[in-house]
Amino acid sequence: MARRLTAAALSLLSLIALASCTGKDAPQQPQGAADPPRIVVASGQDVTGKNGIRQQLIDAWNAREGEGGYRARLVELPGSADQQRSQLLGALQSGGAEYDVVNLDVTWIPEFAAAGLIRPLTGAAVKSPGDIIPAVDRTSFWGGERYAVPFNSDVGLLYYRKDHLRDAGASRTVGPGVTWTDLRNLIDAVNDDSPKPENYEEGWTTQLAAYEGRTVNAIEAFASAVPGFALTDEDGRYAADEARLTAGVTELRERTATPYMLEEASGSREAESLSAFAEGRTTFLRHWPYVYPSLYETFKGNLGVTRLPGKAVLGGQNLAVTSNTSEQRAAKAAELIAFLTDPDSERCLLRAGFAATRTSAYEAPGGAPECRHASAYSSGASASPTGESAEVKAPDQLADGVSYSRDILLPALREAVQRPRTPLYGAVTQTLITELGALYGPRPPGDAQVAKNLDEALSKVLPG
Amino acid sequence: MSRFDARGKVNRALLAGVSEYDHTASDDPRGVSGQLPAVRHNRTGLEDALRRGGVFGAGEVRALASPAPDDFTLELRRVCREARGLLLLYFAGHAVTSTSGSELHLQMRTARVLPGNGLPGSVSFTEVLGELTESNAEQVVVILDCCYAGNAAGIWHRFDDPKRKKHKILLLMSVQPNRCILGGDADEATPFTRELTHVLDEGGEVWLSELYTKVKERMEAANYRAEDDDEQRPQALAPPWKREADVLLAAGPGTVARRTESAHGGWSSRLRSLLARVRKALARSGRTALAALLALLATAAGIYGILVLTGDSGPCAPALELRVLADPDLEPAVRAVADDYVTSDANTTGEGCRRSGVTVNSAGSAAVVNALAERTDAWQQPREDDNPQRDIGPQPDVWIPATGADVDRVTTAAAEEDRIFARLEPEAEPIAYSPVVLAVPKQLRADLEPTGQSLSRLLTALERADRKAEVHRPDPEFTDAALLATTSLYGDADARDAELDLARTERPEPTAVRLLCALPGRGTAVDHRGAALVPEFLLKSGIGCHPVTRAPRVAAYPDDVPGLEPAFVRVRWEDGDRDATARDDAVDRFHTWLTGKEGRAVLGEYGFRSAKGERGLLDAASVPEGLTESLRPAGTADPTTMGQTLVDYGNAHGPGRVLYLLDSSGSMAGRWDGPSGGPGILRQTLPGLGGKDEYGVWAVHGTGGRTHTELLPFGTHARREAERALGAAEVRDAEADPHGALLDALAFMRERGGGDDRPQLIVYLTDGEDDGRLTGKAALKEILDRAGGAGVPVTMVSLSSSGCDQGRPATRIAEAGRGRCLDAGDDLVPALHDEVARVGMGEE
Repeated sequence: MARRLTAAALSLLSLIALASCTGKDAPQQPQGAADPPRIVVASGQDVTGKNGIRQQLIDAWNAREGEGGYRARLVELPGSADQQRSQLLGALQSGGAEYDVVNLDVTWIPEFAAAGLIRPLTGAAVKSPGDIIPAVDRTSFWGGERYAVPFNSDVGLLYYRKDHLRDAGASRTVGPGVTWTDLRNLIDAVNDDSPKPENYEEGWTTQLAAYEGRTVNAIEAFASAVPGFALTDEDGRYAADEARLTAGVTELRERTATPYMLEEASGSREAESLSAFAEGRTTFLRHWPYVYPSLYETFKGNLGVTRLPGKAVLGGQNLAVTSNTSEQRAAKAAELIAFLTDPDSERCLLRAGFAATRTSAYEAPGGAPECRHASAYSSGASASPTGESAEVKAPDQLADGVSYSRDILLPALREAVQRPRTPLYGAVTQTLITELGALYGPRPPGDAQVAKNLDEALSKVLPG
Repeated sequence: MSRFDARGKVNRALLAGVSEYDHTASDDPRGVSGQLPAVRHNRTGLEDALRRGGVFGAGEVRALASPAPDDFTLELRRVCREARGLLLLYFAGHAVTSTSGSELHLQMRTARVLPGNGLPGSVSFTEVLGELTESNAEQVVVILDCCYAGNAAGIWHRFDDPKRKKHKILLLMSVQPNRCILGGDADEATPFTRELTHVLDEGGEVWLSELYTKVKERMEAANYRAEDDDEQRPQALAPPWKREADVLLAAGPGTVARRTESAHGGWSSRLRSLLARVRKALARSGRTALAALLALLATAAGIYGILVLTGDSGPCAPALELRVLADPDLEPAVRAVADDYVTSDANTTGEGCRRSGVTVNSAGSAAVVNALAERTDAWQQPREDDNPQRDIGPQPDVWIPATGADVDRVTTAAAEEDRIFARLEPEAEPIAYSPVVLAVPKQLRADLEPTGQSLSRLLTALERADRKAEVHRPDPEFTDAALLATTSLYGDADARDAELDLARTERPEPTAVRLLCALPGRGTAVDHRGAALVPEFLLKSGIGCHPVTRAPRVAAYPDDVPGLEPAFVRVRWEDGDRDATARDDAVDRFHTWLTGKEGRAVLGEYGFRSAKGERGLLDAASVPEGLTESLRPAGTADPTTMGQTLVDYGNAHGPGRVLYLLDSSGSMAGRWDGPSGGPGILRQTLPGLGGKDEYGVWAVHGTGGRTHTELLPFGTHARREAERALGAAEVRDAEADPHGALLDALAFMRERGGGDDRPQLIVYLTDGEDDGRLTGKAALKEILDRAGGAGVPVTMVSLSSSGCDQGRPATRIAEAGRGRCLDAGDDLVPALHDEVARVGMGEE
């Protein structure tokens, strides 16, 4: 019960602390030892039918380093984003696991940066930053500094059944300029069609279960209803008010009302909504680019894909260097990130079905874009004598000479909106999920009431 | 075993109170901070109380006034030698801890602190533990009233004790880990000892458990503050603190205790002035020096804390993240408590900021026990072939198993390991209680005695009531409730016979709530005659599914199935102490909430009972129909029996046979390499198979007469051999014939399984590129028919993310073959690993 430790005791203890710090740094680079020095990259599980493209890119970097160089090692985290975030935060805060590079969801960057868990990056970590789609690259910054480099992006898209619309005699085509009013008219046409398409139940489905998907859909509705809408300013301070929230809630409610939306969507996540659409129970689906190849496999020419009406939310992951790692390793980690996010890697990621972060990846001078880092995705590997293709099928050329990647994905990314940028994102999204849950409960209150509650709750969570 | 009442035995109490120090800061910069006059009152007050208490006889209490280390050790050895019944050791004085908090140095009269590692005049707590474990006493109670007293619990856990002698030592500590407390006023005892003495002096029998509870309550009421104006909360370590492990400390006539005034005014104000001085110093010294000063002050706080304090991140710093791992049956209730807690005032600072975020997840109980015992190395630093971070989840800061016996299972198994990278510090008391019951459809209830019967008698009565009655139980490898039920099901019976008495399903449901929801899904008839072994709380909170079709169930309480007593266990990871103080504080606060009024209210809503006394329902206001209000708890879960039951369960089903079919056609080239490629996925399921299991791998390619080549011949294998075979697998420049290959596999396995009832499984991994050969109606029908009649489950793995959508060939084959269909949209690798592990015996 020392009243306080004496100065002597304190200096002793700080010496111990210093010793352990330096002790920790010293053996990290055993030059000439049997094992090459390692860079540990932590990332969510990668069983997405993309043939471990992340692992392939890491293998390519290791090969370039050669024997005696550094070896990057991918540590896979649980599939659920909540668990990934929990492990990354807990481990970096406490030091209970060693990561040098972390692959973070774009919404986590402010939190990790503000907590000092990841470090500001210099130009060494990013090649040709001007090539990165500006909306995508903005997710890498916090407090005016670059803390990460975009690895793969993501954006909401609209998938639809051409055959449903054709059978219903809908004359209106679904193109990039489609609006929610158009969509409702098209759904009315399918609903009035007799007989209805096989298995058909309602017009569209999305992800509104009590998880991140609800936040994404809400932000898309809010941003569509209110020009320039933002929940937070660039410093992470609360920037909305009751009036704007009311307009946003009204838009969300209209979009998700019967008879347009599949009722079970209020409890659906990515998998459930995908299944409902794949089973023919809806004509439209809001989802991410990664489902395009598998939906195409299912519906072939009957599948349509275009940009979401209104605003679409930006997703994706960025690579960052942890603060825990030594300076020497941090420098090497920055080199690794520069490689994993360079124009060639981005072309490979696009071919693997991810939304690439660089404009150059979408340009195809003289045919298919090249991808040299990952052999399975290099041009030429796709053809085998049996005619079976080596890559996941994602036909780029849609009807009318429209390119999926250049004419739909790229513009969608360019104009995508961000979810609130704040170190308190976890609390903000939890608040949105909880308060908007009222819309999908047994006796939903009015829009103004929901907005009022939301405004109060968000003002409590966020600095004003 | 009954509670420990040492009256009449040869007992000893050694009270070491160091109030006077030879070297203090005023005359020696290497000395301790000051004298501790309050400790004089501790020594005399406690000595008197113990003498009056009547457990220690005349001459059995010995007080040491400010001993030097040698005097202390000498006397400690003497009482260790002499005591045969109860040995009580009390220490009050200065103490310091190492930066990592892994050692506690009790500072005696001659204590000094030298540069380097010099701590002359101190006795390490590890050394004290060493003496105590070797003592002749039957039971030892250690009471520490000093800075960092709470760190003693971690030292106890880390104490290397293969003979498990340390389990006779119980600890009572004045403050939570990594906290310093102040010295108190000169004219009265220190807060903790003051309250301790008060309770001992209340008269009547004072047992250790109630002493702890009362002291805790009194200290909370008096609002004593520790360093940094934190609450001072006493701690106990008494593993497992159950009624039978309780110790009588006093049984005296009682004295009129003087209620001393709250300590608020005295040392709390002194603390505030000290903090103010620190603040002033900081203001003078600028930012760099500020960080350095904070580093000096926060002895065990790490870089994170400092960054938070000095960082420029707006009004609220990002919250500390707590990772909570719960038993799968408990997950919804724990998550509900955590959700409430996170937004509560208790988790909000004066500035309106959240102190911590809490993420709750669950994983199979057997896998968690195994990982905490034997895989902490890989959990902290995952390897390619062993990655609990991915397969189990985040490294927990808090583990909530459904019974404290799991902690002993981990500790026992971990004792065999060379190095452990996660240490467990269980709280003494369970969070709540819920018996494991036989939930029977209401119409069968009349024939069953609701209480006072063993499980086997209840099952006999159930069978008499309805010969078609079925008994369902979830997977014992996945939840403790199912495992505890299984310990009683097996009892003296042969495990294989006991398993045959249960309803046959292709695979047990993972959790009790899934089981309860699945019963109606199997048809009304099954629902109305299906009894389920589940935790009682689910009869209140686990009935939200299928409200229309489900049969209402009531509880029969077997008296030989141990109930759930969820434990709260702090998990400390090696080197994970960068923010130890803040993390400990976050854990303590969550624990306080969980076990306090608010947490109990949520647990009550979920149907839990009190962990103490009559085990009344926490929410007594709404008792669901068919539950008993109060009950006598069944016996305590026994870790050895649980472990043996798991082995018996595995043996009752295995060894098994698994045939892997790996699509090796040209289209797989894009899904071949790395851990998410075909061979990599299969490789990650191999840990589910052991040396006695038979398995083989076919590479499926070719469309002529031969549908496959053998990558690994069918038989028993060393894992490395199988890994080599998969490592050498290559994509063929050919198409595949899934129809022919599956028919061949079904025929092959039918031949193997002819003579026994060993579990079998066919796993077919494909990208679905050649599904065209299946979609011909005749071809698919032929497979569906064969798979349906083969008695071998077929699990289909599709690397396409929609491969298992409704109506797809893989989905239909898996359904016909009573296996699972897993596609890239699922958490594929862990799910497939579980499928294989269910059939195989795994590694011994």
